Amino acid sequence: MSTLKTEEMTLNMGPQHPSTHGVLRFVIKADGEVMREAIPDVGYLHRSIEKIAEKVGYHGFMPYTDRVDYVCAMFTNQGWGMASEKLGGIEVPRRGEYCRVIAAEFNRIASHLLSVGTMAMDIGANTPFTHAIREREMINDLIEELCGARLTFNYMRIGGVGWDLPPGWREKALAYLDHLDPILDEYNSLISFNKIYIERLIHVGVISAEDAINYNLVGPNLRASGVKWDIRRDIPYSVYPELDFEVPVGSGEFGTLGDSMDRYMVRIREMKESVKILCQALKQIPDGAVLAKVPRNFRPPAGECQVRVESARGDMGWYAVSDGTGYPWRVHVRTGSFAAMGIVQKLSRGLMIADLVALIASLDVIAPEIDR
Amino acid sequence: MGAVATYLGNIRQTVSSIFEGMAVTASHFVRKPYTVQYPDRMPIRVQDTLPFRYRGILEVDLEICTGCLACERACPIDCIVIVAEKHPQTKSMVLSQFDIDIAKCMFCGLCSEPCPTGSIHHTTEFEGADFSLESLIRRFVKEPVAAYRPKKGPETDPRIAPILSRGMNFLTQWAQPGGEKPPADEEAA
Amino acid sequence: MQQLADHLIASGLFGAHPPRDLIYALIIFVLCLVVFMGIAFPFAAIVTWVERRVWARIQSRVGPNRVGPNGFLQWLADGVKLACKEDIIPNQADPRLFKAAPYLVMIAYVLPWAVVPFSSDLILADLNVGILYMTAVTALTVVGVLMAGWASNDKWSLIGGIRSAAQIVSYEIPAGLSIFPVVLITGTLSMQGIIRAQGWAPNNWFLFNNPFTFAAASILFISALAEGNRTPFDLPEAESELVAGYVTEYSGLRYLFFFMAEWGALFIIGAIVTALFLGGWQFPHLSHSRVVMNVLQLITFNVKVLSVVFLSMWIRATLPRVRIDQLMSLCWKYFVPMSFINLIGTALWVAIWPDGNPVAGYIMAVLAFVVLVIFLRRVIYYLRKSRMEIYVSPVI
Repeated sequence: MSTLKTEEMTLNMGPQHPSTHGVLRFVIKADGEVMREAIPDVGYLHRSIEKIAEKVGYHGFMPYTDRVDYVCAMFTNQGWGMASEKLGGIEVPRRGEYCRVIAAEFNRIASHLLSVGTMAMDIGANTPFTHAIREREMINDLIEELCGARLTFNYMRIGGVGWDLPPGWREKALAYLDHLDPILDEYNSLISFNKIYIERLIHVGVISAEDAINYNLVGPNLRASGVKWDIRRDIPYSVYPELDFEVPVGSGEFGTLGDSMDRYMVRIREMKESVKILCQALKQIPDGAVLAKVPRNFRPPAGECQVRVESARGDMGWYAVSDGTGYPWRVHVRTGSFAAMGIVQKLSRGLMIADLVALIASLDVIAPEIDR
Repeated sequence: MGAVATYLGNIRQTVSSIFEGMAVTASHFVRKPYTVQYPDRMPIRVQDTLPFRYRGILEVDLEICTGCLACERACPIDCIVIVAEKHPQTKSMVLSQFDIDIAKCMFCGLCSEPCPTGSIHHTTEFEGADFSLESLIRRFVKEPVAAYRPKKGPETDPRIAPILSRGMNFLTQWAQPGGEKPPADEEAA
Repeated sequence: MQQLADHLIASGLFGAHPPRDLIYALIIFVLCLVVFMGIAFPFAAIVTWVERRVWARIQSRVGPNRVGPNGFLQWLADGVKLACKEDIIPNQADPRLFKAAPYLVMIAYVLPWAVVPFSSDLILADLNVGILYMTAVTALTVVGVLMAGWASNDKWSLIGGIRSAAQIVSYEIPAGLSIFPVVLITGTLSMQGIIRAQGWAPNNWFLFNNPFTFAAASILFISALAEGNRTPFDLPEAESELVAGYVTEYSGLRYLFFFMAEWGALFIIGAIVTALFLGGWQFPHLSHSRVVMNVLQLITFNVKVLSVVFLSMWIRATLPRVRIDQLMSLCWKYFVPMSFINLIGTALWVAIWPDGNPVAGYIMAVLAFVVLVIFLRRVIYYLRKSRMEIYVSPVI
């Protein structure tokens, strides 16, 4: 009996697709339902933001940093602020640092809510998405009162933050955090501990700790593989040394260590830790100025600097070179999503197409961060 | 025996987790929807519910514009075009053009921060969609007008005083470099 | 229906010597028109409105509420919009298969309505093999779906079509096997016969007859959901993976046919589960008038079917999707063995108690009530914990 002739299908999961997080393209070589390989194709959202920095100057670049990763814009703001301050030797007042941390941690919760919500939607459950977005809307309302915008905040400035906390905001923020805790537990009973959801995610895209370090993964992706590395703990900056919080690490309790379920649960636990950080910061915030005196035409001395910020997607590195004029010579951002795209090709061998969607969602890839 | 235990355990876990999930969704049947039914089923206009610091479409109060061009320098996208010349006789600045292209504006707020009187400020308007691109260039100068000269003491002109106090209200919301936080009763409606 | 026809002929409606066969055919045609145009298609359309409103409330939002009172005419607007769309046929697609696929799926949807028992007299055709006919005819969707997937000339549609074919064919087996316990107890395959063997009180329903029929009812409900491509088994049209699966290339009225067939199949699923396990149209014999009893039974039947439909919408909003290999393993490793156990268990039960065991019915009904109370307590627990505003709306 002759063998059956089979062919390998080449599919295109194109830039327009309801589930790739932004404009990403994958060329999938599949044998029926099981994939041989999925080759990512990035670059659809490249906007030359790093080049624009050389034209607009230090102060003017702050709104552009929002667009590097619009889901967690506070961290990009903080990164650029810290890079410019390091170049210019400026110190941020303590109340300014606390305001930065409060805004950043709220943004971390918002970004993780979006991430877990879209992950649930990609797996098929539509309800957790709307619940997560509802909670995110409440955070957006809070930040709108703080700085006037809901997505691209432009909240921080070189030397501090742009606005102080409005009167009455602390109470509203604490009331919201009080409301968020039981909602997170309810979210967990709805979807995180659902047997179908767990079965979809365990053993999918297992990344060992060694692989995670070799492929430059950062943030929750790295911590889910068991590596306890968090910039807030290991290379502390701002006022994080004064705050008491845990760093959640994946434990493989549902499936294997480093699978998609671990990455998901690390994000859920990080949200709870952020709530703890926020409660402490809102209570401990000192009085004083929030913005240091920085000249309008800011000319840092020639030199280079590198800062790292723990954003929602991981270790975001900002590298700036100054040549003594008011415009930076070179700015470079190193984001976590770009590294995560590098590991997709290796992980996709042997997965099913439905698993590819779960894998990309669990790596929390945001297209503007990859392409800038 | 272990396989049977896993088999039955799977069934039990499935049933119990689906039970919990259905209880959560059932509890949502009797909760208030979070939707805001904009724009026609709202008791008040959305623009009036937005906070004071909301960065909507820009507006310029020409009566208090000093012609310092700080906003034009600060804008990272060059969407503000101002033409201000020194009048040969009166030696004061005359503004003959003040255009803001809100099609380009990214509502970052970097222009309203350095304004000394608060004449350029954000409103809570966000509905700016229109049919032609030219209508998105807001021209604030109808005929050349003299720039404002801030006085040493309080402003005495009754026409300009309320506009100036409103402008300064916008400015107090911004963080003062090196200064203390704004007074607690300075929350404008 | 034959009696109705004879009655009408005897009353002289059609003249002195009418051609009997032609009269029968005419009456069948009119009644089929009434059922399909008056019930099947409007139900398939209106249930989209119900589903969207129910979904929206679960998701903390308001569903369609602009077109008509509370958005009730949204289905009309959607239907008109789809009818006005351009009819696109992909360039390399097989035109005859492409055009024929929606019709096949529609036929598979429309045919089961012939044996849906609305009340003791209102049934289009009380076949002796009613339930077997229904199972056989709903399996025709496989052909339509495979044709749609292949003829679209689109690899994603092909994957969707193959997945759907595998799913429907596999889940026929637990569904069919779960019907047999009921047939064992009653000894007949006819729908009216099965319903007449039950009573109006919950403990007389076959759902609570013995533990094996309870399990069989659950397996039948879940397998019917899987056959109807409903979440958690909606892989063929998994929006986040395949955009729309086998219907990606369809637009306008062809798309409408596919989706009316899918939503209308909800009623068929509800009808099967109600007739077999929930007592059908049984209502206490309160009046001697045949018309009044029929109306009450019709209402009872519809209420029960609509509760099953609501349950399937609720499940769709809550659960994520299963993967194709998990779906297959669920079917073959869990449902098929359990269906066999149910069958053997019911056979033993019927052998031991040929006339039924009323005590078991009472015990199971009480147990179900206890589970319902525990469920409601969990619901109140979640409501209290989240401290969100309660809002009970008269319209969903």
